[in-house]
Amino acid sequence: MCPSVPLNEIFSLGIKGSYDTRNPAPILQNPPNNKFQKTQSYAIPTPMTHERTDLYPDLFSAGNKIYFDHNATAPVCREVLDSARELLSLWGNPSSIHQFGRKPKKVIREARDSFAKLVDCHPLELVFTAGGSESNSLVLKSEFLRAQKEGKTEIRFLMGKLEHPSSHKVVEQLKEQGLILDWIEYRRDGSVDLEDYTEKLSREPHLVSCMLANNETGNIFPIKEMVSLAKAVGSKFHTDAVQALGKMEFSLKDLDVDFASFAGHKFYALKGVGALFSKQGNVLEPLVAGGGQERARRGGTENVPAIASLGVVARLAERQADYIQYVESLRNYLEEELAKNISDISFNGRSNPRVCNTSSVLVSGVDGETLLMNLDMQGIAVSTGAACSSGNPEPSPVLLALGLSREEAQCSMRISLGWGSTKKEVDVFIEKLVPIVDRLRKLKTEEIS
Amino acid sequence: MSKGRVLVAMSGGVDSSAAAAVLVEQGYDVVGVTMQVWDYTQSCDITVEGNGTCCSSTDVEDARSVADSLDIPFYVMNCEAKFKQAVIDPFINNYLEGKTPLPCVDCNTYLKFDHLLKKMKELDCDYLATGHYAQIAKDEYGNPVVVTSADDWKDQTYFLFTLPPEILPKLLFPIGDMEKPKVREYAEKAGLSVARKKDSTGICFVGNQGYANFIEEHGNFDPKSKAGVFKSYPDGKVLGEHKGIHHYTYGQRRGLGLAHHEPLFVIKTDTQDNTVWVGPEKYLFSQRLELANSHWHTELNDGELVNVKIRYAHKGATARVYKKEDGKAIVEFEESQRAVTPGQAAVVYRQNALVGGGWIL
Repeated sequence: MCPSVPLNEIFSLGIKGSYDTRNPAPILQNPPNNKFQKTQSYAIPTPMTHERTDLYPDLFSAGNKIYFDHNATAPVCREVLDSARELLSLWGNPSSIHQFGRKPKKVIREARDSFAKLVDCHPLELVFTAGGSESNSLVLKSEFLRAQKEGKTEIRFLMGKLEHPSSHKVVEQLKEQGLILDWIEYRRDGSVDLEDYTEKLSREPHLVSCMLANNETGNIFPIKEMVSLAKAVGSKFHTDAVQALGKMEFSLKDLDVDFASFAGHKFYALKGVGALFSKQGNVLEPLVAGGGQERARRGGTENVPAIASLGVVARLAERQADYIQYVESLRNYLEEELAKNISDISFNGRSNPRVCNTSSVLVSGVDGETLLMNLDMQGIAVSTGAACSSGNPEPSPVLLALGLSREEAQCSMRISLGWGSTKKEVDVFIEKLVPIVDRLRKLKTEEIS
Repeated sequence: MSKGRVLVAMSGGVDSSAAAAVLVEQGYDVVGVTMQVWDYTQSCDITVEGNGTCCSSTDVEDARSVADSLDIPFYVMNCEAKFKQAVIDPFINNYLEGKTPLPCVDCNTYLKFDHLLKKMKELDCDYLATGHYAQIAKDEYGNPVVVTSADDWKDQTYFLFTLPPEILPKLLFPIGDMEKPKVREYAEKAGLSVARKKDSTGICFVGNQGYANFIEEHGNFDPKSKAGVFKSYPDGKVLGEHKGIHHYTYGQRRGLGLAHHEPLFVIKTDTQDNTVWVGPEKYLFSQRLELANSHWHTELNDGELVNVKIRYAHKGATARVYKKEDGKAIVEFEESQRAVTPGQAAVVYRQNALVGGGWIL
C-alpha cells in the first residue's frame, strides 16, 4: 500500500486561498531608499503576528541563540519541519507507472507549479537540481557546449566579479577548454560599472552571467537593464538568483533573463534541492545524464522530499511581500542601532539597492573573524563572508573586488536576517556586540601603544 | 564555578587533545583553536596516515572531533601567511645559508606564543594552554619559571627558550606533569578519538618528501646554484661533487655518496663557494660555541656551571656560559661536544629549570 498520510494534509499548510489567484509579484520598481537618515525612526510594522516561533520551530529558544546568518543557510521553516514525516514518506519513484509513483509525481508537479508561480515562469521552464551550485554548473557548462555545437570558434562569457565560487570555478574549468572570459566590474559602493559593462558587451559574449543580489553586501543589480543591453548584442543572460529568493520581489518574465539559479536551503526549504530556470526555446545539455527525468534535462531519481519542501515554502512565500517589508524594517532598525551605539562604523553597499535582510558592517579596527568568534561564544551567529570560504586566509573576495582595502574587508562582518528574526534578537545582539567591540578596540590601542 | 577561560591550541595530535581534556576536567571554561599553517592537500595524499603530522587538513578534523567530544567551542584560524613568513621562509633561507634551522622554535615564538596569545586576549580568555611537555613552577621568590617535563624523553622545554618570561602567568601546560604513556592512557580513558594516533616526528610541514626536496619545491632559487664540491677536512683535497649544500647538515654521514677508506662526516659547510667539508668524526668535536639572539628567563652568573643542550635530542652537557653584548654569549663545555651546528639552539638549564638560550652561530 501507499504511505497512508494524505498529501493534502501537507499542502493545507500553505495559504490555500491565494493559491489559484495568480498575481505575479511586480519587480521592485522603486528600490527602497537605503540612505541612512538619522532623524528617521523606524517603527517595526507587524504585518503578522511575528514571533519567531511562528516561522521557525523553537530550535533556538532553548539556549537563547540568535541566528543572523541566513545568507549562509536558512532554518527550515515550521511548515516544512511539521510536515517532515509526510515528506519523507514520499518514497515511491515518481517515474513508476504503478500507483506508488503517482503521489510523488503529483507532489513534484505541485512543487514545480508553486515555485513557477512564485518566480513567474512556466512550470516546465524549471529544472529541479541538487542546489544552487549545480544550477550554476549546469547552465554554464551547457551554454559552453551549445556554443560549441553551434560552431562558434570563439566562445566568450561575460561574468560578474562578485559571482559565487560555484560560477567562478566552473568558468576556470571552461577556460581550459578554450572559453574566453571577461569580467563585469563593480564600484566601491556596490553597484555595477555599467559603462564598462556596455563596453565589454560590444565583444558580443555568448553568455552574460550576473547575480541578481549579492550574498555579502545584499546589493541588487539592475538585471533588467543589463538584460536588455545584452539582448541588443545577441547575448544570452543568466542570473544567479540564489540570494534574492525570499529577500526581494522579482518576476523572471519581467527580468527577461534566459536562465536563473535557485537554491532551496537559502529559502527555508531542505538542502539538496535547487532549480534552474531555463527559458522556453533554450536547450540544456544535461550535466547529469540519465533516465530522462526533468524532461531529460537532469537525470537521476528525483529528491522528492526536498523538492516537495521547496513547494511548501513557495506557497508560504505568497505572503512574502509582508515578510520582506518586515525584515527590511528590522534590518534598518539594526543598522540605526549599530550606528547609534558604535563609533566608526559603516555599511558596505548601503547607498545602493539591497535585499531586505543583509547588512555588511565595517567596524573599523576590529577583525571580523575575531568578532565572529566572540559573538559565537555568546550564542550569536554572524558571518565574515560566504560560509564556503570560511577558513580562507584571504579577506572576503567580494569586498576586495568592490575595491575595499584588505584591512577594510577584514574588518567587515555580514549580518543576514530572516523571516523569523525579531526586534528582541536585534536588541540582544546590539547589547552583546557593543562591549565586545569596545574590548577589541581597547586591546588594539594597547597593542599599538 | 569556572576557574577561568582558557584558549587551548589543538593540533589534532594526542598531546594537545589530552591537554584540552585535562583542562575541561579541571573545571576551566575551554575554547579550542587550531592554527591551520600549511596546506598539505597541495602535495600529497592526505588520506594516508602520517602524511601531514601537524595542523594539516586531516589534523584539523581530528582536533575538531576531539573538541566535539569534549563539547567545547572550536575554531580554525588560518595562519598560513604568517606561518610562511615566520617559519617556512626562514627555514628555507637558513638551509641555503648552510645552517640547520629549528622551525619549531620560530613557530612557538611567532605563532603559538605571540599570535595565539593575542587571540587569547581578543577572545576574552584568561589563559593560553598548549600540549607541550613542559611545566611551570615557582622559583624561591615566587616567580614563575619553566621547568622540564615529567617525561625526560619527551621534554620540549628546549623549544621554549624564546618565551617571554612575563607571559608565563598566562600559560598553562596541562600535560607537563605526565609521561607520554600516561597521556595516551588519559586520552584513551577520556574517549578521545586520537588516543592511538601516531606521534608526529620530524618537521611537521616537510612530510615524507625529505627536507631538501621541500626546500627546492618551495624556495625561490635555482638548485644548481647551490651545487659545489666535497673537500676533505682539513687538507682541502677535492673528493667529488655534491647535490647542493642544502642537502647536508653538520655531522651527517649517510647519503654523501663518497667512497673512502674511513667513515666521512660533514664537518662544516661554506656558503661562499658551496664547499661541503668532510672528514673523520674527530673533527666534529668542539669545546666552545658562540650564541646570538639569546633570551634569558632568569639571572645567570658569569661562568656559572650549568647544563647546556645543543640540539633537541642532546642529553645536555655541563658548561660555563659568558654573556656578551648584543644578545651574544659564549658557551664553554667541560667536555667537547659532537656536531655543534649553526642554526640550532643552545639551551641552558640550571637543574631542571630553563635559564635561557640562543642561536648557535
